[in-house]
Amino acid sequence: MADRVERLTNLLALLLETPEPLTLVQITAELAGQYPEGEHARRASFERDKAALREIGVPIETEIVTGGPYAGSTRYRIDRRRYELADLDLDEDEVRALQVAVATVRSDAGKDGLWKVGGALVEMPDDDPPPLSAIVPDRPELPVIRGAVAGRASITFRYRDEARRIDPWGLLLRGGFWYVIGHDHGRGERRTFRVDRIEGRSIEVGEAGSFERPTGFDPRTAFPADPKQIGHDPADAAEAVVLIDAVRAKAIERELGGERVARRHPDGSIEVLVPSGNIDAFRSWILGLLDHAVVLGPPEVRAVVVDWLSAIAGPPPRPDGDPT
Amino acid sequence: MSGPRNAEDRLRRLLVMLPWLMDVGEVELATVARRFEMTEAQVQRDLELVAMCGLPPFVDEMIDVFVDDGIVYVGVPRLFTRPLRLTAPEGFALLTSGRAAMELPGADPGGPLGRGLAKLAAALGEPTEGDEASPDDTAGVAVDLARPAMTDEVLEAAADAAELRVHYYSSTRDERTERAIVPRHVFAEAGNWYVVADDERSRARRTFRIDRIEAIERTGRIVPTDDPATAPEAFFLDADVPRAVVRLAPSASWVVEQYPVDEVRPLHDGWIEVTLPVASERWLSRLLIRLGPHVELVSPERAADEAAALARTILAHYTTEP
Repeated sequence: MADRVERLTNLLALLLETPEPLTLVQITAELAGQYPEGEHARRASFERDKAALREIGVPIETEIVTGGPYAGSTRYRIDRRRYELADLDLDEDEVRALQVAVATVRSDAGKDGLWKVGGALVEMPDDDPPPLSAIVPDRPELPVIRGAVAGRASITFRYRDEARRIDPWGLLLRGGFWYVIGHDHGRGERRTFRVDRIEGRSIEVGEAGSFERPTGFDPRTAFPADPKQIGHDPADAAEAVVLIDAVRAKAIERELGGERVARRHPDGSIEVLVPSGNIDAFRSWILGLLDHAVVLGPPEVRAVVVDWLSAIAGPPPRPDGDPT
Repeated sequence: MSGPRNAEDRLRRLLVMLPWLMDVGEVELATVARRFEMTEAQVQRDLELVAMCGLPPFVDEMIDVFVDDGIVYVGVPRLFTRPLRLTAPEGFALLTSGRAAMELPGADPGGPLGRGLAKLAAALGEPTEGDEASPDDTAGVAVDLARPAMTDEVLEAAADAAELRVHYYSSTRDERTERAIVPRHVFAEAGNWYVVADDERSRARRTFRIDRIEAIERTGRIVPTDDPATAPEAFFLDADVPRAVVRLAPSASWVVEQYPVDEVRPLHDGWIEVTLPVASERWLSRLLIRLGPHVELVSPERAADEAAALARTILAHYTTEP
C-alpha cells in the first residue's frame, strides 16, 4: 500500500478541488487502489484519515444527501476559503518581530503558527540567544477559551465542585496564572476563574454570538483588586508604627516609599507608618516579616499581633530536665 | 535535530513547507531542512513523495517539485499555494508570545511587533455583528508581566556583561547577603522576574529573584563570557522539594493563588486541602504563622512545633514595652 502521507495528500487535494461534495464511494473511486478492499476496512481507513486531517486543522465539511441514488449517505468537501490562512499582510519587520517574540517567550505551539504566517520569512541568526525571556504557562483549555472569547460563545465547566456557565470576556495572564474573566450566569455577576483550577479539563463551548462584551472591557483593569494589598485604600486613615530591623529596612522602604519612614536608627533599623485599617491584611503583612518587624503602636494593633502569635506559640516549653 | 515522524506530523510540516517553496521557487535542500527543523533526508523523502501524488487531471504533476543535487526546484504552483489556516493552539501561541514580548523591557507598541500583533489580533478576533462599539483589540488575550523597578538596570548590566554589587535577601534562608554578580540572562516566570548570574560568592551560576535585590551598584568590572545563559528548565517546581499538606479556610484560599501547588481537593464549608512544595522549613513556618487559625496542618507534623518555636521568637520582641 502507498505511504499514508501520499494517500492523505491525495485525499486533501481531492476534497479541496472537487466542485461538488463527494461520498465515500466516489472518494475511493477517485483514489483507486489507495484504500483497502472491503467496505468495512475501507470505511475504517477513511475515518482514520478524516480524523488525521481534522487533527492538523483541516476543516472538512459534511452533509447528508437527501435525494437521488446516494440518498442518506454522507458527502464531504473542504471549503478553500476556510482552509486557507487569511492573508495577514505582515511586513517583513513584523514577521521578524513575531519571530523574536516566539524565540523569547517559551511556549510549545508557537513555531508551526510562525511558519504559516511567516511565509518566506527572514533567516534568524541563531548564534546569540536573547538576554531576556519569559516562560508562559501553557494549558490545553486556553485555545478553546480564547476561541469562545473571540466568537462570543458561552462556556460551561466545573469549578470548585460546581457547574458554571459564563460568558467569557477575556483571558489574562497575571502573576504566573491564567485567568478567564466573564459574566457568571449562576451568580448573575462578573467573576474571575483560574484556568488551571477548571476541573476535568473539559469545557463545553456554546453557540457563537450569544453575548456582547461590555464596551471598553480590558482584562488588565477588570481584575479584582487584591484585598491583601496593604495600604490599598488611601481614604483609610488608621496607621500603625512598625519597627523594621536593618536586614529588611531597605526593601520595606522601597515597598512603602520613603515618605512612610518616621525615624531612622543608627543601627540601620527604621520606624515606618503602615495603614492598619484592614487589620487582616496588616497582620498577614507584618507576620510575613517574621522577627524582622515589631509593632510599636497603637496598643490595640500590637495586642492583635501578640494574641495571634501566642495562640500559635502555645504554652512555653518546659525547661530542660523538668520531670514529667 | 529531530524531524516529524508520524503521518500527521509529516503532512502538517509539508503543508507549511510547500507554499513557502512555491514562493521562493528554488532553494538549497540544507536551507529547507534547517528552516523546518528536519534532516535533509527527511525533506527529500517527503518532497519526492508529494511529487508522486496525483489526481486526474494532474496525474503525477499535481505538485511540481523535485530535488536535484542538493537544490529544491518548484515549477508551476497549482495546489497548496497558501498555508493551512492557523489552528486554535497555533493562533493562541502566537498571540500569547507576542503579547508577552510586548511586556518585556524595551518593547515599543508602535514598533513592528505592535503592528504585527494588531494584524494578527484582527485576523483572530472574529468580530461579531453588533460589537462594532467595542472592537476587541486584544483578541481575547492579555498578558501582564509587571516587573520590579530594578529589572531594567539588571538587564542593561547583562547586555554590558557588567559586574554588580548587590544586597540580596534570601527568603528561604531568611538572610541578607552582599555579593558581586555578573548578570547573564533575565527572565519572567510564574509571576516573578529572575536573573541568571555568575555569582562570585558561590563561584557558580545562580538564579536570583530580582525583587529580592535590595541595592545595586556597578563595580566597573566588565566580565565577558563565552557561555551564554538561558532560563533554566522548570527550576522551581522541583520534584525533589519536600511537600506539605494543609487544610485552608476560605479566607486563606489566596495561598493557592500565590504559591505553586500540586493539588487542591475541595472539603466541606469552602475549606480546601492543598499539597504544596515547601521551599524550606522556615518558609512553611512563616506561612503557618501568617494563616494562624485559618489553616490546619496535616503533614509534616513537626512543622507545628517549628511554627510554634518561630512564633515564640517573634513574641520575644514584644516582651519589652515600646
